[in-house]
Amino acid sequence: MDIKKRQLILAGGGLAVFSAGFAQTAGRMADKVLGKDMPKHKTWGDAPEPEFSVDPETGALKPNPAQQVSYTMCTGCTTFCSVRVRVDRASGKVLRVAGNPYSPLSADPHLPMKASVRESFIGLSRFNDKGLAGRSTACGRGNAVLQQMDSPFRVLTPLKRVGPRNSGKWAPISFEQLIKEIAEGGNLFGEGHVDGLRALRDLAASIDPAQPELGPKVNQVAMLISTNEGRSEFAKRFMQQAYGSLNFVGHGSYCGGSYRSGSGAVFGDLKKMPHGKPDYENAEFVIFIGTAPAQAGNPFKRQGTLLAKARTDGKLNYVVVDPVLTNSDSRAAGERSRWVPIRPGTDGALVMGMIRWLIENERIDAKYLACPNDAVAKAAGEPSFSNATHLVVVEPGHPRQGRMLRGSDLGLKLAEEERYKEADPYVVLDAEGKPVFHDKAAGPAQLYVDTVLDVEGQPLRVKSSLQLLKEEAFRHKLEQYAADCGVPVHTIAGLAREFSSHGKRASAVAHGGMMSGSGFYNAYGVVMLNVLIGNVNWKGGFVDKGGGFKDVAKGPRYNLETFPGMVKPSGVPLGRNAPYEKSTEFTRKKAEGKPYPAQDPWFPNAPALASEWLTGALNGYPYGLKALILWSANPLYGIPGLRGQIEKDLADPKKLPLIVSIDPLINESNAYADYIVPDSLLYESWGWASPWHGVPTKTSTARWPVVEPKAVKTPDGQPIGMETFLIALAKAMGLPGFGPGALPDAEGNAHPLERPEDWYLRGGANIAWLGKEPVPDATDEDMLLSGVARLRPLLERTLKPEEVRKVAFLLSRGGRYQPAKEVYDEDKPEWMRNRFKVPLLHVWNEQVGGSRNSLSGKRFSGCPTWTPPAFADGTPMRKIYPETEWPLQLVSFKSALMNSYAIGATRLLGIHPENPVIMHPADAGPLGIKTGDAVELQTPGGRARGLAIVHEGVMPGVVAVEHGYGHRELGARPHRIGEAMQPAMPRLAAGISLNDLGLADPTRSGKSVWVDAISGAAVRNGLPAKVRRA
Amino acid sequence: MNAPIVEVVNVSREVAWLPWAVQYFFLIGLSAGAFLLSLPGILLRRPAWTGISRRALLAALLCGLTAPVALLADLHQPGRFLNFYLHPNFGSWMAWGAFFIPLYLTGLLLYAWLALRPTLQGLANEGGRMAKVYRFFAYGGHDSRAALAGAAAIAGLGAVLVLLYTGMEVMVVRARPLWNTPFLPVQFAVTALAGAIGLVLILERVLGVSTPESSARLNGALVNTQAAVLAVGAAWLGLSLSGLSPAHAEALALVAPSTAWRLTAVWAAGSALLTLWLALKRPHGGLLAGLIALHSAWMMRWTVFIAGQEIPKTGAGFYSYQLPLGHDGLVGIVGTAGLWLFLFVLLTTVLPWSGRDERAGA
Amino acid sequence: MKDTPNLRRRAFLQALPAITAGTAVLPAKAAEDDAAHRWAMLVDVRRCIGCQACTVSCIMENAVPENSFRTIVSTYAVKTGDTTGTYVLPRLCNHCDDPPCVPVCPVGATFKREDGVVLVNGERCVGCAYCVQACPYDARFINHDTGKADKCTFCAHRVEAGLLPACVETCVGGARIFGDLNDPDGELRRRLDAARDEVKVLKPEAGTRPNVFYIGLDPRFQGRVDGVAALWKPSEHGG
Ligand SMILES: Nc1nc2c(c(=O)[nH]1)N[C@H]1C(S)=C(S)[C@@H](COP(=O)(O)OP(=O)(O)OC[C@H]3O[C@@H](n4cnc5c(=O)[nH]c(N)nc54)[C@H](O)[C@@H]3O)O[C@H]1N2
Ligand SMILES: Nc1nc2c(c(=O)[nH]1)N[C@H]1C(S)=C(S)[C@@H](COP(=O)(O)OP(=O)(O)OC[C@H]3O[C@@H](n4cnc5c(=O)[nH]c(N)nc54)[C@H](O)[C@@H]3O)O[C@H]1N2
Ligand code: SF4
Ligand code: SF4
Ligand code: SF4
Ligand code: SF4
Ligand code: SF4
Ligand SMILES: [Mo]
Repeated sequence: MDIKKRQLILAGGGLAVFSAGFAQTAGRMADKVLGKDMPKHKTWGDAPEPEFSVDPETGALKPNPAQQVSYTMCTGCTTFCSVRVRVDRASGKVLRVAGNPYSPLSADPHLPMKASVRESFIGLSRFNDKGLAGRSTACGRGNAVLQQMDSPFRVLTPLKRVGPRNSGKWAPISFEQLIKEIAEGGNLFGEGHVDGLRALRDLAASIDPAQPELGPKVNQVAMLISTNEGRSEFAKRFMQQAYGSLNFVGHGSYCGGSYRSGSGAVFGDLKKMPHGKPDYENAEFVIFIGTAPAQAGNPFKRQGTLLAKARTDGKLNYVVVDPVLTNSDSRAAGERSRWVPIRPGTDGALVMGMIRWLIENERIDAKYLACPNDAVAKAAGEPSFSNATHLVVVEPGHPRQGRMLRGSDLGLKLAEEERYKEADPYVVLDAEGKPVFHDKAAGPAQLYVDTVLDVEGQPLRVKSSLQLLKEEAFRHKLEQYAADCGVPVHTIAGLAREFSSHGKRASAVAHGGMMSGSGFYNAYGVVMLNVLIGNVNWKGGFVDKGGGFKDVAKGPRYNLETFPGMVKPSGVPLGRNAPYEKSTEFTRKKAEGKPYPAQDPWFPNAPALASEWLTGALNGYPYGLKALILWSANPLYGIPGLRGQIEKDLADPKKLPLIVSIDPLINESNAYADYIVPDSLLYESWGWASPWHGVPTKTSTARWPVVEPKAVKTPDGQPIGMETFLIALAKAMGLPGFGPGALPDAEGNAHPLERPEDWYLRGGANIAWLGKEPVPDATDEDMLLSGVARLRPLLERTLKPEEVRKVAFLLSRGGRYQPAKEVYDEDKPEWMRNRFKVPLLHVWNEQVGGSRNSLSGKRFSGCPTWTPPAFADGTPMRKIYPETEWPLQLVSFKSALMNSYAIGATRLLGIHPENPVIMHPADAGPLGIKTGDAVELQTPGGRARGLAIVHEGVMPGVVAVEHGYGHRELGARPHRIGEAMQPAMPRLAAGISLNDLGLADPTRSGKSVWVDAISGAAVRNGLPAKVRRA
Repeated sequence: MNAPIVEVVNVSREVAWLPWAVQYFFLIGLSAGAFLLSLPGILLRRPAWTGISRRALLAALLCGLTAPVALLADLHQPGRFLNFYLHPNFGSWMAWGAFFIPLYLTGLLLYAWLALRPTLQGLANEGGRMAKVYRFFAYGGHDSRAALAGAAAIAGLGAVLVLLYTGMEVMVVRARPLWNTPFLPVQFAVTALAGAIGLVLILERVLGVSTPESSARLNGALVNTQAAVLAVGAAWLGLSLSGLSPAHAEALALVAPSTAWRLTAVWAAGSALLTLWLALKRPHGGLLAGLIALHSAWMMRWTVFIAGQEIPKTGAGFYSYQLPLGHDGLVGIVGTAGLWLFLFVLLTTVLPWSGRDERAGA
Repeated sequence: MKDTPNLRRRAFLQALPAITAGTAVLPAKAAEDDAAHRWAMLVDVRRCIGCQACTVSCIMENAVPENSFRTIVSTYAVKTGDTTGTYVLPRLCNHCDDPPCVPVCPVGATFKREDGVVLVNGERCVGCAYCVQACPYDARFINHDTGKADKCTFCAHRVEAGLLPACVETCVGGARIFGDLNDPDGELRRRLDAARDEVKVLKPEAGTRPNVFYIGLDPRFQGRVDGVAALWKPSEHGG
């Protein structure tokens, strides 16, 4: 090479790398020349025009015709707040979401409904600083989830799997094909014949003629949903009343099941499980034990708002007892807020210690507890009473051991079917020590009773409920309780003293933190604290929710509840939430002389149990499933340990022949489906929801399509979704309750149920007419400003003329809301206005106390007790997984930002890109682990890798991860749909999920997940674990 | 590690002055330094410096022409650079810079042209294909010392102003204690000079014209600059450690916990020491000492700019910067080097730079 | 007992040193100038729950690109004595009265308006990022979609339309109060005056005279925080 050539190459090379380096700059300069570098606005850049403007001097509103502001519902978490959604009319794009000022879920206090939509907008503005006091909010997640609407991972057309289950390959199919194949079955996948739903709807033949109690074969078709987000009654109508299967379940048992069961025990209803919340506004002291207000909790946002206000401007002091530090705490609030770390699953020890202290120091409200009935209580000024004084049969071997002593036991004459029911009174000892029927007692009864009564000549040992509780509490010393839970004795005593220092204005509340292997009793104990100070229904105390206005009912306008040909499902529910002692198996085993153990546990004191469903179905116990419908639920992501237990079987169509999912997204569970039916997302759908809890006034939130649903349309032009799918299925199978004339009105005239709006608008009419008088009419302006005008033709087509403007009134305001000033009782302002239906609280619950563990045959305690976390047969977890081998315990907690399905809202990830493994320096130090190190987490259920963050915001001995990360689906894995491949976004798989590390129950046979022995709720707190540097 | 405060949620700010900026400050400094080195031989006509100054002029041109391009690329809206002239805000050192750079470059080009005119004339006289072009550029080929002095004065003023403004621009940023020290302009200036000497040493080797005398002379100069660099550095450290100057103490306190920063600082100091040692021990060597001198001038700027921007102004710990591979990172750095290389080939192809040339304006 | 709950609480929960009182940082007079308005924000940290609603709403409202933030709520686990707790701190541009970002701008693109709002003229900004360096609060960044300096505008476009800034509208805890310092009857002024002794600003020593005021500002967080950094990483999707 001569010199010239080398120089040429050098120069050329230099120029080439230079151009590469400079290309972007050159491009930017070109932009300038082309005039492309101008921001939309000189100083505020690309922000869109405001949605309206308000003259700060006069308060005059000037709408922006290019945008629509509508009040509808957020489904960014189970709080289901009412929000205001701002839409760009031209593109149909949702620009931003904030709160609905009419709704107590988003504003405090909320705006009266009589305010016009115009007034509501003005109330959000700067005009006279109205917008500060009238502020109505959406949380971080609520602000971000609108991103999901344009998600590249949305399912917009019916899908049928191509190839094996979970292979991530789908073919788009037509709606007609979808309906035909699911209804009629056939050789659908080239894998042999699959029964369709029509064939599976056998309402007559038994699943197993040898065990008739299991019910008809139709029970082998089941539907698993998430929760009532405003539409579940529709799905239930299809599944139970029309199709006829007993098996319809929500996520309750893997949400906060244990808490609600424990609470249900106190309130005496283990199926509906009433529970209370603090009255934040007037509470002076609250102990949050395993619930994280301001971090999570339901209603997330409202609690956050109220807590922040109460600790700053109000009188509230509070303590959060939790293995993990969360945003519930606020150092800025100083002494007002405190975090007390605790070992997972040991809340029972803390609480029983407190109860012991309260009893020992006579700090329980004895005057209240001594009231044996409602009348005496009312006379004493108490809005509830308890069974503290009611007597319990404790005579060993007595057939009613563990049950309440009843009038009929003492010879009260009652018809046989009335015995031990409501009309059969309880018994108390009056002041003189004479037994009296509780309803006949005219004054206080004896609190601590341990005596032997003479019943028809037989001695019968009885104790009062409170005596039993005292004995349970006194089983251990405070020092023992402290050693078990890791909370020092002086803190336990201090908490008890403080708790009993505020009269009725203190309360204790729990939730997700109860999902441990001792969850039921821990929760029972926490709620019992409230009973002991008699704070239920009191202003500032432990209060009921206001509930909602019922849409699905035999309402004032339409009957959405019953219809001709309705089926009443029967049998043993798939989750075995029924008494084992009534099963054929029990009878057989008893005859064989060994009634216990049952093949697998039964849960007579639990509600329907999704936690037990899928393992049970695949074990074939009590029976297998032929078809499963998943609607917007994700048990494989939500139930600890479930994936590992069933993923192989779930992929095998022989084990569960048909899986249909209705969902706008592909999640960890419906990735196994045979068909996915698209569903509406967020602001596209209809619904009437009432808050889960925490709103003392009656509240019904309206959800209505403020934007056009994106899913493809049915042949008759309706967007495909849960309702259109089920209506079409019902019609294809000729099921009752759907189609022309399926909906009777109050006069008995039949109306069609052919479209979603037939249901929801009529439900709205029911809501509009509830109460003393129907709601007013919406004005034209209300409709115009709120975007309801868009639906007007639909309203006019569906409703009676007099209903149109009333339903429009609700839609324009995003729901119906009892006025904020009606929180407290009119006559007794110290009482709540909306109170628990049954004012009787159970210190002893005879349903629990009268039942046995179906594996060990041991009796359950009918009052709170402290037992360390255990497996189904009562074996302590630590006996099988000792600390020597598994030195740590793993818990998860809800992220303030993320939830179980928000991962696709990447703006949240942008703030918090993954969930690090939180470790205490005392644990991390010896392992050589520092913040930022990669670690491997291991439990008996699996391993996972994550990043460590080391600080003292966690109980020593505990490792904690935020829930909501560690996804395998929802975008974490791209699927192929037809020829199109979804984009790869590996960051959606960030972090780890505790549930991939969940445990099977080693004391059970077959597939199982660890559940609480009484509530049947999935255990996610306190998994035995170890960590090492990775 | 029982840190009392651990950030659970926070975000970092990205580095806003990119490697392009490091390149610019590096190159413009080298150019100014090299220009100063060109004076003894070219303007003052010291025979011993003739060759060195010749190469220094080449270095000044190469770096001076490349630098503004890097500066332009560091703007996120380069197309609007005209705004510097349409809407200057003279309260800002950067605004002044927009005037100093052209002043310096105009002076430098004029000075170079005046210095090279006789050479160009000579080339034209040799005939050949390019003779016409050379003749055009020679524009008569006069060797006017007065004009040269005038041009040198402009360029000299420009160079001083450039050195001043680049230092001041960074120094005045109170928000960055690491930058906000009066030493900074001095450090920039001495390291620029050292780097320029290094560059000339290298050019001598590459062009194959180095002599023991020139090497010794340059190494001698290098010893002085490195000593100055170290002295200033030591003074900075001394002020900071002793706490005599709270501002310096704060700056040190900010960066000291960063392992990355400590490493780079030690590295930079080590390079300076090594250069010093090499220049002392091997006065006739050059390539290695030159390379290290260049490198430490670059490192110094990298440390100040990039590491300086890794210190959060409010948040805890450090933002971690990883050099991106693309335009805003490696490609940018290599890109400026590419332009430099291109200019080098161009200038060395069309002009002779070996110092003994009689026509070299001597 | 009821009247001394705090003492008793200390008996079982270790006492924490109270956050010390602030030095006077409020503009002494409501109106130091004849401007009609003087916009400012008050953040009552005691009411902040770290929900980041403000962060996300700001992003949505102002089309803030990924990996950039006009506001963020820094969240910390803080150990004091034997107890550990959560501290949150909403951060945004302070709309300083003496804003170091303004004088450095070579083209005068950054300016402070009569009404106190510090803005960037996007038609003039050359994206040199000098202002980014000069801001002592890391409140500025280069917007890679526009190539210009970006920061909180106090949502001037909404304020001009008679509305509230996005982050204020949706503040779940009710921590963010926005208003006019020149309006003696306004909510902002009333709250500031009522809490006068507790009101603080970030980095008062920087002499920037911020117009974002805080109640409940722990001195350990007033300047650069001495602690362990968050594990945050920018996503690859950012520009
Ligand atoms: N380790 C651990 N496990 C937990 C928890 C925990 O804290 N830690 N939390 C538990 C709790 S409290 C609960 S409630 C359960 C929740 O568990 P599930 O109720 O089973 O399910 P989610 O994961 O909430 O998912 C609901 C599904 O709905 C779909 N979806 C999302 N947005 C929309 C929409 O707008 N419209 C429709 N139609 N569908 C949508 C998505 O596919 C999503 O996966 O998880 C529990 N599991
Ligand atoms: N931000 C956000 N809010 C939400 C949701 C969300 O996903 N994100 N989901 C909504 C839903 S579905 C629900 S059910 C509610 C749940 O709301 P919460 O019940 O308040 O939340 P969880 O995180 O389930 O549990 C509360 C706390 O229990 C702690 N904990 C774990 N183990 C134990 C233990 O053994 N003992 C004690 N005392 N505490 C323990 C956890 O660390 C956690 O902080 O939140 C709702 N709100
Ligand atoms: S709490 Fe947030 S995410 Fe949940 S429903 Fe309300 S606004 Fe949506
Ligand atoms: S906070 Fe920073 S960007 Fe905002 S005005 Fe002050 S110096 Fe300027
Ligand atoms: S980035 Fe824009 S606003 Fe900032 S200093 Fe440069 S020109 Fe001025
Ligand atoms: S005032 Fe507007 S721009 Fe500033 S932080 Fe709030 S939302 Fe963002
Ligand atoms: S929205 Fe309000 S409460 Fe939530 S993080 Fe922001 S400032 Fe705090
Ligand atoms: Mo839940």
